[in-house]
Amino acid sequence: METHFFFSDKVVLLFDFWNVHSPAGMALSALVILLLTVLYESIKFGKAKLLHQSLASMPACTSQQNEETDQSSSSSSELPPVSIPPLRWFLCHFGQSLIHIAQVVIGYFIMLAVMSYNTWIFLGVVLGSAVGYYLAYPLLSIG
Amino acid sequence: MSHSHHMMTNSVDHTSTMPPSHHHPTTEASHHHGGGDGNMMMMHMTFYFGYKNVELLFYGLVINTAGEMAGAFVGVFLLAMFYEGLKIAREGLLRKSQVSIRYNSMPVPGPNGTILMETHKTVGQQMLSFPHLLQTVLHIIQVVISYFLMLIFMTYNGYLCIAVAAGAGTGYFLFSWKKAVVVDITEHCH
Repeated sequence: METHFFFSDKVVLLFDFWNVHSPAGMALSALVILLLTVLYESIKFGKAKLLHQSLASMPACTSQQNEETDQSSSSSSELPPVSIPPLRWFLCHFGQSLIHIAQVVIGYFIMLAVMSYNTWIFLGVVLGSAVGYYLAYPLLSIG
Repeated sequence: MSHSHHMMTNSVDHTSTMPPSHHHPTTEASHHHGGGDGNMMMMHMTFYFGYKNVELLFYGLVINTAGEMAGAFVGVFLLAMFYEGLKIAREGLLRKSQVSIRYNSMPVPGPNGTILMETHKTVGQQMLSFPHLLQTVLHIIQVVISYFLMLIFMTYNGYLCIAVAAGAGTGYFLFSWKKAVVVDITEHCH
């Protein structure tokens, strides 16, 4: 394994069947890696937006929640109770955990792809990261 | 094939001169050569499932049986869970320790030509305070564990990679539950 960046048309990426040995194959692989990085950036933003939306759907003001608390705690509640149905909150949080797993796995896959030290693949990752961030950031502020 | 001949001569030389060690290059058929330059590569470059002769991070930590692989799976799973918990614990500690709040007011023109006072709130810590030192120590631990997890994933072993992913997901699920309920609600309201 080389430990410096090099240009080459031959690489084996991640799996045994992903064996590239032609310029067309290398261009296609770089494009796939670019799309994978765009997906990674959009998952990062999607998770933040999903958390934001799930919190916005809850009654957010402490005054409203103080009216709804049945417990005889002090007025300055440190742990405001969740007033949405627990099952819905559980499903929402479970979905976010699955998204988190996907983000972790894709992040590691991209790291392993860059570890091949193939410059075309690395450029695909850099461009995909730029494109993904560029596309995802305005969508975050819209929601 | 010239590659296998090259492999055999290397292994013969090593057995005659050195005592067998764990770093001895093996002639397993499951090794995949990524390049054609004839170098002997001990690292896998594609994903595989196996539990024989799996080196894990440190010298002498080699997995040879299914039982050891199961133990390594559990260990890696717990390490990934601990990493997620550490991330969230650091966030909570940071929030709790931000006691010094500086207000900075500046006049800005309002909508009707009036002048409004816009107040900026900045939170900060002293550099030599105990919370900041604790944050630094935890940051170092977090960086080291994240690199360990990266190196574990770099072994390309399917079982260990699944352990990392599952541990991260479970840790996020368990530790971020309370955080999302407690902390972000207070942020939303104030």
